[in-house]
Amino acid sequence: MALLTKARNISLLLTTLLVLPGVAAAQTAAEYDVKAAFLYNFTKFVDWPAAAFPDANSLKVCVLGDDPFGRSLQSVAGEQVGNRKLRVVQTDSLSKLGGCQLLFISRSEHDRLAQVLAMVKEAPVLTVGDTKGYAEQGVMINFTLEGSKVRFEINTDTADRAGLRISSKLLQLALRIVSAPAARREP
Amino acid sequence: MLQRLQRAPIRQKLMLIAILTTGGTLLLAGAAIIYFNVVRFKAEMTRDLETFADVVGQTSNAALTFGDPKTATEILAGVNPRPSIVAAALYDRQGQLFAQWARDRIVQFPPTPPRRDHSQFGNGFLVTFRPVALQKERIGTVYLRRNLDELRNRIWTQALTVGVVFLASGIVALLLSSRLQRLISGPILDLAGTARAVSEQRDYSIRAGKRTADELGALVDAFNDMLAQIQRRDSELQEAKEVLEERVEERTRELQQRNEELNQSNKELDDFAYIASHDLKEPLRGIHNFSSFLIEDYADKLDDDGRSKLETLMRLTRRMETLIDSLLQFSRLGRVDLGLDRVNLNEIVAEVLDSLAISLREERVEVKVPRPLPTVHADRARVGEIFHNLIVNAMKYNDKPERWIEVGWREGAGPPVFYVRDNGIGIPEKHQDAVFRIFKRLHGRDKFGGGTGAGLTIAKKIVERHHGRIWLESSAGNGTTFYFTLQEGEVRA
Repeated sequence: MALLTKARNISLLLTTLLVLPGVAAAQTAAEYDVKAAFLYNFTKFVDWPAAAFPDANSLKVCVLGDDPFGRSLQSVAGEQVGNRKLRVVQTDSLSKLGGCQLLFISRSEHDRLAQVLAMVKEAPVLTVGDTKGYAEQGVMINFTLEGSKVRFEINTDTADRAGLRISSKLLQLALRIVSAPAARREP
Repeated sequence: MLQRLQRAPIRQKLMLIAILTTGGTLLLAGAAIIYFNVVRFKAEMTRDLETFADVVGQTSNAALTFGDPKTATEILAGVNPRPSIVAAALYDRQGQLFAQWARDRIVQFPPTPPRRDHSQFGNGFLVTFRPVALQKERIGTVYLRRNLDELRNRIWTQALTVGVVFLASGIVALLLSSRLQRLISGPILDLAGTARAVSEQRDYSIRAGKRTADELGALVDAFNDMLAQIQRRDSELQEAKEVLEERVEERTRELQQRNEELNQSNKELDDFAYIASHDLKEPLRGIHNFSSFLIEDYADKLDDDGRSKLETLMRLTRRMETLIDSLLQFSRLGRVDLGLDRVNLNEIVAEVLDSLAISLREERVEVKVPRPLPTVHADRARVGEIFHNLIVNAMKYNDKPERWIEVGWREGAGPPVFYVRDNGIGIPEKHQDAVFRIFKRLHGRDKFGGGTGAGLTIAKKIVERHHGRIWLESSAGNGTTFYFTLQEGEVRA
């Protein structure tokens, strides 16, 4: 009974939080809508070298590990980025990462992050994370929350080494720029 | 104003024309330059602001895309170094005000961008709305507002420049025209001065100086030609006048000489008449006396025929004596000066009538003096002779049963005119000139009481010695009127 009351209280709270954006606990759905849109918009402020595209007509977004976006990422799939069509692929296998231009590394991959990064090291793949400390470890763009607002940090070193050019306008919007490359920190 | 301008000297008019022309042209040109510059500068400003808005939009498209108004505001604040821009704003895709920046805090931003992007001047500002695009997709609108200080400064600077140029060229025009106007006004003023000098000094030998070969030069030539003609005519006229004067003088001299000669010969004639008559009287007296002796001493020896012839001889000598006396009297008039005096003519006429009283009574002639006569300046005795002779003449030649004589005078313009009028036999017109000739008688020796025929001649001579005139009006049978004056002057009715 007490449990039931508690459950009802939680669902009420959830409803309230859904209606009021900016409240941390209830923003999951809205937060990932924003992040999905950001993911799409990042492609507009990043230049890949021409060689990065085996298929000139598509830009492949890969989600590695648990997909936190749900349907929101599917809603941007098929959008045009320049003259390329955005395609979204989810996978858990590192072996299936070939042909990705943007790699979202899920929180679930936290333990094998170094291995993942080593996989795409110096390949023209924009890595995006969603976990505290990812940027320092070498993920190029890492979402953070400032209050309820979605922000991001950028690791310019890894991006540079991968041959990606991130627009200064995007850098201007970054919460902070991380320039300590994880690779160099490793002994 | 226009009247004052018309009275102004040519010099000033020419300068005014130059200055007004320059000023007017410059003012128009200056206004046109300022106008076109303002139009051009406005277009430039608009283009410049739009370009700048595009840059701001381009710079802020990421901030707009990622919904970062803070960064967007920072980007907008980046316009700060451009002091002419006073406000900037970004609107998102939905037209909501996304970010804003203002130099002063009191700026009212448009709540939403207009449906169409545009730029416009108004309320002392230039505003522009430009699209913000990301990869050819419109994601919002940028708004910029700039003040017009620069435009005002530029207009002010250009107006100042035009004003300075206007003033400077006005001064230059004044200096140039004050020198150049002499090209036109110089010859004209010269000409005017020459004309004035000619008319003031009446010296037609003056000539205007010629400086130019244009119409003014031709005018000067024509003027000088005219002066030359006038000078020639003037000298011709002068010559003619001198010749004429000389001739008049010559004629006057001749006349004077002739007059003197005439006077001389008159005097000689008078002298001769006097001497001759005086000398003739002596032998005549002898002839008379000896005739008288013959009749008295030889009375018994003479027959009747002889006595009769001697009596005729005596009568003829008496007659000759009266003739000689008359001649003597007449010639004395030319030799003796007049004793001029104030003479009361009433007294004179009364004396004459007294001396003739017996004859008048015998002849039954009535003498009328209708109104008192004036007092004149004349020779008393001679004037008495005039009246005497005229009255005697009037008395003699009358065959009417009732005879009268009227003595009177009339006055008008000129000297008084005296007259003696009778109702006698009158004088036919053809004889009227002859009556004043000496010894001229119109009738037989013994008719109308006889006489020598010298009375009217003597009267005429006395009148003329008084510088007067004598004339008559008469017709046969209707009486005669003798008129005379006693001083110089034309008689007018």
